Amino acid sequence: MKTFKTMLKTELKLSFRGMDMFIFAICIPVAVIVLLGIIYGNKPAFEGAEYTFLQQSFGAVSTIAIGAGGLMGLPLVVSDYRNRKILKRFKVTPVRPVVILLVEVTIYSIYALASLALIYITAFCFFDFRMVGSFAEFLLSFLLVMLSMFSIGMMVGGIAPNIKMAGTIASILYFPMLIFSGATLPYEIMPAVLQRVADILPLTQGIKLLKGTSLDLPLDNIFFPVVLMVIIIIVCTGISLKFFRWE
Amino acid sequence: MDAAIKVENLKKSYGNITVLNDVNISVKRGEVFGLLGANGAGKSTAIECILGTRKPDKGRVRILGMDPAEDRKKLFENVGVQFQESSCQDNILVSELCEETQCLYKDTADYKALLGQFGLSEKIKSPVSALSGGQKQRLFIVLSLIPNPKVVFLDELTTGLDTKARRDVWKCLSQLKEKGLTIFLTSHFMDEVEALCDKIMILKKGNAVFSGTIKEAVENSPYKNFEDVYLWYAEEETADENI
Repeated sequence: MKTFKTMLKTELKLSFRGMDMFIFAICIPVAVIVLLGIIYGNKPAFEGAEYTFLQQSFGAVSTIAIGAGGLMGLPLVVSDYRNRKILKRFKVTPVRPVVILLVEVTIYSIYALASLALIYITAFCFFDFRMVGSFAEFLLSFLLVMLSMFSIGMMVGGIAPNIKMAGTIASILYFPMLIFSGATLPYEIMPAVLQRVADILPLTQGIKLLKGTSLDLPLDNIFFPVVLMVIIIIVCTGISLKFFRWE
Repeated sequence: MDAAIKVENLKKSYGNITVLNDVNISVKRGEVFGLLGANGAGKSTAIECILGTRKPDKGRVRILGMDPAEDRKKLFENVGVQFQESSCQDNILVSELCEETQCLYKDTADYKALLGQFGLSEKIKSPVSALSGGQKQRLFIVLSLIPNPKVVFLDELTTGLDTKARRDVWKCLSQLKEKGLTIFLTSHFMDEVEALCDKIMILKKGNAVFSGTIKEAVENSPYKNFEDVYLWYAEEETADENI
C-alpha cells in the first residue's frame, strides 16, 4: 500500500507537470459544457422533448475525459514506459511492473471522475442542470464505459511495437471518437448518414448508454451498449494479458 | 559459505545463434566479479538470464541461494540492479525518482546519504533530464544501492563518466565491498577491472574463454599489461585468422 501511494503521488505530479491531461480532460469538457449551456440554455432537446438539450448532452460531454485518458494518455504512457525500460526495471525489484500500470489506470480514472464532478457542478450551478435519471445508475454506466475505453488503451499501449506506432493508433482511435461519437459535436445534430457511421464507434455506443441512464430512457435502448462495453472489456483485456510486451 | 551468485551450465540461443554456451559462474559473498567481453559477446544476455528477466534455454541460477525467477519478490529485496542505458520518466526530479525507488522495498538506505556519497547532493531537486551523462550514471548506481542490497549488478558501470568521476565511483564501490557487498559488474575499462575485480570472466561469442583471477589471466598469457592480456583472450581468434 505504501508503494502504491508513493507511486501514485509521484506519477500524479508528473502527469500535472505534463499539462496535456489537465487541458484535454479537465479544461475542454468544462468549456464544452459552458458553450452548450450558453448556446442552448434550457431549450428542450427537440420540439416536444421532456428534457433539455443540456440534459441530453451531459452524458456525452462526460466521456471527453474518458477518451483523453483511455485512448490517448494510457496507450502513450504504457508504450513510453516500456520504451524507456521503466517496466523492465520493475522486473528486478520486489514489485511487479503491473503495479505501475495500475497506478496509471488510477490516475486516468481520477481525471475522468474529476472531470465528471466539475462538469456536473458547472452545469448544476450555472445552467440549472438536473439529472433526469438516477445518478447511481449513471455512475455505474460511466464506470463501465471508462473501463471499456481504458481496456482499449491498455491493449494498444501493450502491443504497439513502439511509441510512434502507439501514438498513431491512439490518434486514429481518439480524434474520430472525440468528434464523431457525439462527445463534443452533439450526435443529434449530425445528418442521418453520419450518425450511421458514428454508430460503429465504440464510444458512440458508450454515450448512448450514458444518455439512456442520465435521461432515464427505456431499458431496451441501453441493452446493446451494455453488452458491447462488456465484450470490449473482455476482448481487450484478454488480448493485453496474452500479448502485452514488457520490453 | 554459499556462493552469493552461482550459475551452472547457462545456455541461451536466439534462433540458430548461440549467445551463451555453457557458462559457469561462482561469486563468493563480498567478492567483486567482472564479466568482460566485446560488444555482442553475450554479457548483457548473461546478466538478464542471471536476473531472470530473460529465460535461459538451459542452466541453473542461484542468487543468495534463491531462484531469481521463482523467488523474485524475496530475492530483489536484497539485490540492486543498474541496467545499461537506464532511463526514467520524463520531467521526474532526482528526489522523486529516489522516493519512487525507495517505496518498492521494505528495508532501505537513506538515499540522501547515498546521493552525498556519489557527489549528487546539490542535484536533489533537479530534473533527472538536466543531469550530465556522468551524473545520471552515478544516480542509477545510487538507485541500485537504495535497497541496501547484499548483491549488486552493475552493467557498464562507468561508461560515460570522466576520469575523476570514475575514480570516485571506484572509491565508493571499494568501501561498499569492504562492508561485504557482493558486486557483479561488466565493464569495457581494464584499469577499472584491475582496480576493483577479485575475479573475472572473459566471454567471446558466448563462450567463457577465461575464468579466474586477474593474476592468473596475466600468467597464462604472453603479456604483462592487463589490457593486452584481455585483448589476447578476447580476440585470439581474429589474430589467428590474420596470420
